[in-house]
Amino acid sequence: MTFDWSVVWQHREALAIGTATTVLLTVATMLIAVPCGIIVAVARLYAWAPVRAAATAYVELFRNLPLILVVYWAFYVLPIMTGLGLSPLATGLAALALNVTAYNAETFRAGINSIRRGQVEAAMALGMSRAQALRRVVVPQALRRILPVFASTWVSLFKDTSLVSVIAVSELAYVAMQIRAQTYRVLEMLTAMAAIYWLLGYPQAKLVDWIQRKYAVTE
Amino acid sequence: MSESVADPKRTKGGGANIVRYRGVIKRYGAFQALGGVELDVHAGEVVCLIGPSGSGKSTLLRCTNGLESIEGGEVEFEGAVLPRDERALRKVRQRMGMVFQNFELFPHLTALENVAEGPRTVLRLGTEDANRRATAMLAKVGLSDKGASYPSALSGGQQQRVAIARALAMEPDVMLFDEPTSALDPETIGEVLNVMKKLADEGMTMVVVTHEMQFARRVGDWVAVFDAGRIVEQGPPEQIFDAPLTDRTRDFLSHLGWTG
Amino acid sequence: MDFNFAVITDHWRFLVGGVGVTLLLAVLSGVTSLAAGLVIALLRLYGPRWLRPVVIFYIDSMRAIPVLVVLVWTFFALPIVAGITMPPFYAALLGLTVHLAAYAAEIVRAGIESIRPGQTRAAVALGMSPAQVLRRILLPQAIVRMLPAFGSLLSVTIKDTAIASVIAVTEFMRQSETVAGQSFQPIEVYTFAMLVYFLILFPVTRGVEHVYRRVAHLGRS
Repeated sequence: MTFDWSVVWQHREALAIGTATTVLLTVATMLIAVPCGIIVAVARLYAWAPVRAAATAYVELFRNLPLILVVYWAFYVLPIMTGLGLSPLATGLAALALNVTAYNAETFRAGINSIRRGQVEAAMALGMSRAQALRRVVVPQALRRILPVFASTWVSLFKDTSLVSVIAVSELAYVAMQIRAQTYRVLEMLTAMAAIYWLLGYPQAKLVDWIQRKYAVTE
Repeated sequence: MSESVADPKRTKGGGANIVRYRGVIKRYGAFQALGGVELDVHAGEVVCLIGPSGSGKSTLLRCTNGLESIEGGEVEFEGAVLPRDERALRKVRQRMGMVFQNFELFPHLTALENVAEGPRTVLRLGTEDANRRATAMLAKVGLSDKGASYPSALSGGQQQRVAIARALAMEPDVMLFDEPTSALDPETIGEVLNVMKKLADEGMTMVVVTHEMQFARRVGDWVAVFDAGRIVEQGPPEQIFDAPLTDRTRDFLSHLGWTG
Repeated sequence: MDFNFAVITDHWRFLVGGVGVTLLLAVLSGVTSLAAGLVIALLRLYGPRWLRPVVIFYIDSMRAIPVLVVLVWTFFALPIVAGITMPPFYAALLGLTVHLAAYAAEIVRAGIESIRPGQTRAAVALGMSPAQVLRRILLPQAIVRMLPAFGSLLSVTIKDTAIASVIAVTEFMRQSETVAGQSFQPIEVYTFAMLVYFLILFPVTRGVEHVYRRVAHLGRS
């Protein structure tokens, strides 16, 4: 059994584009999922009952489904529901965004809830309005608690982009497995795929550790 | 500087030496926590260690049962130098009881199970014997009816009394108390001090690190005043509290608002 | 737009068989990754010093590499390297175990380290050996503290079994794909699949939360 590792180098361009797509998907998903997560979190905390219930149902639904299933479902159902012909990339992005928004909403909500009521009361006793109290007292403190969890969600998202390969989106996993199929260099391509994810993911994991250490909350 | 003749002011100095500290030195890196401590604890005595926070009192207590190791000098227990080997130390610890400021009851065990844990796991008594001993100890501290309760259901004072029972269940030769009432609400301090007084009256040898000056004054047989890792004065309570010999002692007591 | 859910009832046994495989794979991976994670965490906390960076490297690598990649590599590449053949189910079990054990190890470590040092001191003061301290005092409390995180890991495990569909394990996701492909009714099939997964996962998280609320006081020192 001979191994030919040069096949990795030969296809470096395709792999680079795949990697870029992975990164693009991660960033684009977060650009959607952060604002949407805030909206859903606020809805769960402060909106009137039917809206609150809908928001909670949304969060509970997407936190209790495998992402790969959401990807398939989005691929087959979204074009029919929205009447648009979405590219696989857009579909994948939509599935990822739906999923991560739910997690973000939960993170943001828990972060805000973790700030003791006494803080808001103290702020309002000074004469602040509730909105001011939120903005100047609650949110800054909540951000400290949210950031480590959010960083963790980010790294999970980065890894989850690999799942949209099942609907032929040309991110890293799909590209690597296509090259494998074409060249029959199974071990080389799969190991290269793992290595590239490792190279990108390891520093992210270490960064999450650093963030968690720095923002550790001690009561 | 060892006392070969018992100090006449030392009412219980005639008993055997249970614990002797000979020039004990303890360092944490560059910081010297204990700078040569000389102290004897005789059988049946209640020795109280007082002094400002950080002066080394708790550190000395932890060196007594080997929870901390020392860099210089010796700790003697019942005539033998404290071993360095962990296995041998464990045997020694079985003869000493320790009570902690934060109680440190095991939350996953009931009060009875907490008290029976030492006899069961360390002394390897059978479950029945261990439980019997535990029941007796709980009765001794006045908590017979709380055996089935978990620590989370008990008040601070009750938890500390269970902790005392847990230490007593090992039938130790000396009881070490590390600020036993510092973490308690004022209402519950009394119930714990009463149990400690009862133990003293029964003749238990006790080393107590405390801020409760009234207790030291009334129940203590010998008081050692600590400052910056050294004993600056030691003597009977009447001397320390009514007629201190050193300025450090006077300063410390006046800072506490001690008016006698 | 017109839905015909007869496709579900027609393939009922096929689909339910898939659910069985999902649950079997999830439970087995859960158990093996828990056992492996416990060993790894104890090695990291109490084992030889040189082993520590190795364990940390392993754990951080599993945080960096997607489950899909681990499963695909285990099924396609490992047989080449090790010269063995591996049926899809076992490849999935191995891959999931290796990946999840890293997370389990972190949960165990965090659980043990979160216990107040005073608890160890009190146990040592009674004369207990380190093994006794760990077994009788630290681990029981740690297990209670780890429950929420383990519940969440169990939920992740069940979701990750769906990824095993990519390496042809006949679990529920794969069976659903097959039925959807053959019947040309993906909407009905995948909607049904979502319902089934939700009905499995939702009680798991809720159940763990419920149990934890009742025993939390046993871990609070």
